[in-house]
Amino acid sequence: MNAALQLERVRYAYPEAPRPALDGVSLEVEEGELVLVLGESGCGKSTLLRAALGLVPHFHGGRLEGRVVTAGLDTRTHRPAAIAARAGLVFQDPEAQLVMRRADHEVAFGLENLGCPPGELLTRTEEALAAVGSAHLSERQTGTLSGGEQQRIAIASVLAMGQRLLLLDEPTSQLDPVAAEELLALVTRINRDRGITVVLAEHRTGRVFAEADRVVVMEAGRIAHQGTPAEAASHLAGSAPWLLPPVTQAFAAAHRTQLPLTVRDARRLAGAGPPPTPAAAPTGRTPAIRVRDLHHRFAEVDALRGATATLASGTVTALVGANGAGKTTLAQVATRLLEPDRGTVEATGLSGYVSQNPAHHTLRESVADEVAYALRNLGVPAGERAQRVERELERFGLGELARRHPRDLSSGERQRLAIASVTVMRPAAVILDEPTRGMDGLRKLALAEMLRGLAAGGCAVGVITHDIDFAAEAAQLVTTMARGRVLADGAPVEVLAHGTFFTCQVGLALGCTTIAEAAGRLGPDPERVRV
Amino acid sequence: MSPLPVGLLCGALIVGAVALSNPFAIAGCALASTMLLWSAPPPRRAYVWFAAWSAVLVFVVNPFAGVQGLTPVWTGPKLPVIDTQVTQEELVFGLAAGLRLFGSALAVAAFVRLADGDRVLAAVARVAPRSAMIAALASRLLPILERDAAGLVLGARARAAQLDQRRHAAALAGPLLGLSLERSMALAEAMEARGYGAGPRTVTPRPPLARTERLLLAVAIVATATVAVAIPLDHYRYYDLLGDPFTTVGLLTAAVMTACGCAAAVLVRHGARRS
Repeated sequence: MNAALQLERVRYAYPEAPRPALDGVSLEVEEGELVLVLGESGCGKSTLLRAALGLVPHFHGGRLEGRVVTAGLDTRTHRPAAIAARAGLVFQDPEAQLVMRRADHEVAFGLENLGCPPGELLTRTEEALAAVGSAHLSERQTGTLSGGEQQRIAIASVLAMGQRLLLLDEPTSQLDPVAAEELLALVTRINRDRGITVVLAEHRTGRVFAEADRVVVMEAGRIAHQGTPAEAASHLAGSAPWLLPPVTQAFAAAHRTQLPLTVRDARRLAGAGPPPTPAAAPTGRTPAIRVRDLHHRFAEVDALRGATATLASGTVTALVGANGAGKTTLAQVATRLLEPDRGTVEATGLSGYVSQNPAHHTLRESVADEVAYALRNLGVPAGERAQRVERELERFGLGELARRHPRDLSSGERQRLAIASVTVMRPAAVILDEPTRGMDGLRKLALAEMLRGLAAGGCAVGVITHDIDFAAEAAQLVTTMARGRVLADGAPVEVLAHGTFFTCQVGLALGCTTIAEAAGRLGPDPERVRV
Repeated sequence: MSPLPVGLLCGALIVGAVALSNPFAIAGCALASTMLLWSAPPPRRAYVWFAAWSAVLVFVVNPFAGVQGLTPVWTGPKLPVIDTQVTQEELVFGLAAGLRLFGSALAVAAFVRLADGDRVLAAVARVAPRSAMIAALASRLLPILERDAAGLVLGARARAAQLDQRRHAAALAGPLLGLSLERSMALAEAMEARGYGAGPRTVTPRPPLARTERLLLAVAIVATATVAVAIPLDHYRYYDLLGDPFTTVGLLTAAVMTACGCAAAVLVRHGARRS
């Protein structure tokens, strides 16, 4: 077998970075392999993929030591534009990577850059669109496509160029569960049917972990482990279980020796345990926000069509649904950032909204000033303001970063800052819009803890999320939406454990919603207990 | 739509608005531009506001900037630099100048909203690849930045900011600039990852003009011919005394340009419905 990608003792630091992003990485990917790269945010996964295409160091600058050979081209002597003929990279943000306005022009863009003969351009474009099941999107404007459709177009653009190595950098981080599942199935199919080598960095490991030929675990710029999925599961169970699929995490938490990688295996291994005790939905809590029969229309789209919902004090409520279901509109109307066309909004106090892009909460020059911004707008006196800012910074672990510029923070720190900049107002209710985008498992657990802490303080916490496993872990109530209406609400086990797509992995396998519940139900190995 | 008929029609409207002198002919071009923009997909309001306010500004400033005309309407106190004698000729010339600006701005807006940006870029890339890259970045980034600006406003309002206050609105300019730099870096990286700059480019063969586009091309040719014929025949004068605007050339040009604008608008709407 030939190597599709070779990294030899690669060490790389971004310009002015205090520590290297890649620190002595050696990796060889064979042709036709599907390699899954795992690791916490900031461990070097994205840098590894950029190094494979030569964007590091040619585009980003910095100093690269060692050697990267991609499809036979040494990145030290070949620029990314030349390597692009043999390897393609799909980025995390679907919107940021689309260059052209129309889908078919977007797919043809790379071919045109490589000087593909005009006679072949149309055929290859149409073939690539058909290969990713998007031929019907050919004439659509890229700006009007959903995130999942945009990622499919990005993959089609790579396939059209005839590249044999596909690099994907968290391609599902902004997609709803259905779109994410479809995309990962497509990637697996491309690898299996067409023999295209795939290197995939991904946090949502539930569906793809068992499909990988090899799992590479990265830690602080180094490769901490690499092996088959089963070997990686055994390795991670003791060191970083949050990187594993939720069902595997449940078995690891129950100290089982056999770790399933899929829902099917989990069901088989679980056997007939005691039926789960469903956690009842909290009752008797005061509604902090109550909305009734909300209607709202944007241009030609009915975003809300009679939505009725309640956000209770002291409770974390997850709002789930497909892209375009109306979740964000509902949150913005409920927090009075948008006026509904029809319907009523009742709130017991101040309501806060944390946007899905933390950069939209970055208006000031320092972290402390950012948190103080809302208080200044509310006219809080300087003395009290300083005390409240200090307390909020400590609460969110940002105390030491108070003087830093918000843009210099990591993505996780930016997310915490965005939340702190709203909760400092002490709202009766706060709604967070997609706070887990691009977050690794450990940070999600910390966020879930943080949200439960907020709720314990009496705040009504709403969280809009595509991440069903996170919703199951964090929320005490779950509301599902579709086409501008609320479909169901109740305890997570009622809503999430028995669905088809909007359901968590441990729910599918074991009928529970959280990993702790599942571990409690499983218990240790039956053989071990008998001994 | 194909940039050819849209570009030809918008070009005729711009040249007509700028080079014709009869007020009715200019008004005809401005009306045609308005009709064309009305038929384009939204957003349109921002363009109309910008064009209308610019036109009003020109109309208001012109009488105080020029010292021409023999029919005074109002005479104010003597001031340095500013001409405080307002004449009927200056007012009509200001109105015509405002209409010129309004018509040209809306014709440009109609082109931006109607012409297929990708085909325009492909055409530019043949002669100036570097400029095409900058244009690609700008055309892709503008709508994204529009959404970012809305996001920043939302983020500020979520923190109790009253954005009708000018200082708060100005405070968003810096963060928006920062975001735009991050966005442009990401887009430039994506373009490089797709082989932009690898060598000589080819261009996807474009399909032939559709029936609606062919009809629109015919309308554009009529508009272009009308402007080409009318310019040398149009001798309307504003100074020292206003001429008679009811000339055959002026009225005919106005009628033809308005008819072209209406026909183009109907064709564009019809084309959009069919697609």
